[in-house]
Amino acid sequence: MPQDMPPVGGYEAVQYKRNLPARGFRPATLLAGAGLIMAYGWYHVIVGLRERNELAREKMWGRIHLIPALQAEEDRDLVRRHLADQAREKELLGENFKVYNSDRYVRPTFAVTPGQITK
Amino acid sequence: MAARKPVFNQQVLYDTTPLPDSIPKVKELGVTSAPLFSASYFIGARCKDYNDDFMKCKTENPGKGEFECLKEGRRVTRCARSVIQDLNTHCLEQFRAHWECLDNNNHQMWQCRPAEWSLNKCAFEKLGLEKVIPDQPKDQVPVHLRPKMIFAHYPIPRDTPPYISPAQQERLAAIQRQRKGIPEPSAKLDTATS
Repeated sequence: MPQDMPPVGGYEAVQYKRNLPARGFRPATLLAGAGLIMAYGWYHVIVGLRERNELAREKMWGRIHLIPALQAEEDRDLVRRHLADQAREKELLGENFKVYNSDRYVRPTFAVTPGQITK
Repeated sequence: MAARKPVFNQQVLYDTTPLPDSIPKVKELGVTSAPLFSASYFIGARCKDYNDDFMKCKTENPGKGEFECLKEGRRVTRCARSVIQDLNTHCLEQFRAHWECLDNNNHQMWQCRPAEWSLNKCAFEKLGLEKVIPDQPKDQVPVHLRPKMIFAHYPIPRDTPPYISPAQQERLAAIQRQRKGIPEPSAKLDTATS
């Protein structure tokens, strides 16, 4: 019995992969497009950051101009309280004790709470 | 909330003893944060010398500045007060519009540009005080003169252009020249002579 042989001219090619059209843009185009979009976004981020820096500078200088006035007012108040404390101490104890071993002004840790409020 | 009253409350801590008569009296500013911030650049413009004096005194007397610098402090306060006073007499409407805007916008200057520009105009024309932000990059329009604010909630209306004083005008022209690569008129002379 003769053996089965392939047809003359061979078998047809077996289609083992799908034959779909390649859709969309080429990968290089997609990459470039994504890069462009991101570059646009970064441009705006950087413009915004720079403007924010300038706004921060504006705010800082606004405060710098105010520091002396606020500090002067605070200092006057501290001096007033300090002198009042000293006078009160003198009245109660007869003399002013030197509490700290330095001439620097030290903000009081404790506030005196007068018994009677003379306001 | 605890039902117990706080022991150290402000009322008890209030010390009303005035300064002794040997120290001259000065009227305090008596201004809240928004008007102060609104007027800060004008205070800086007029009181720069007094402010620098005071800060110098404070640095030269570490730990004793509170007592040594009272005189400079009074000058600073008097000068700042005069600025507020002048703004109140000459530019009350614009001043109030600006600081109320600042108050309503979390003290964000960039939300209040139109109000600021009209205040700057009034302050420059009536008081001669100009808002200048130091240390800005030389090649950029100063941030308070830009007609567009990126971070503002609402865009600035077109009919309110930034107020640019004559001195600022010159600076802006220099920036434009620099951008276009045109040499400065004075720079050209310098290169010719050297």
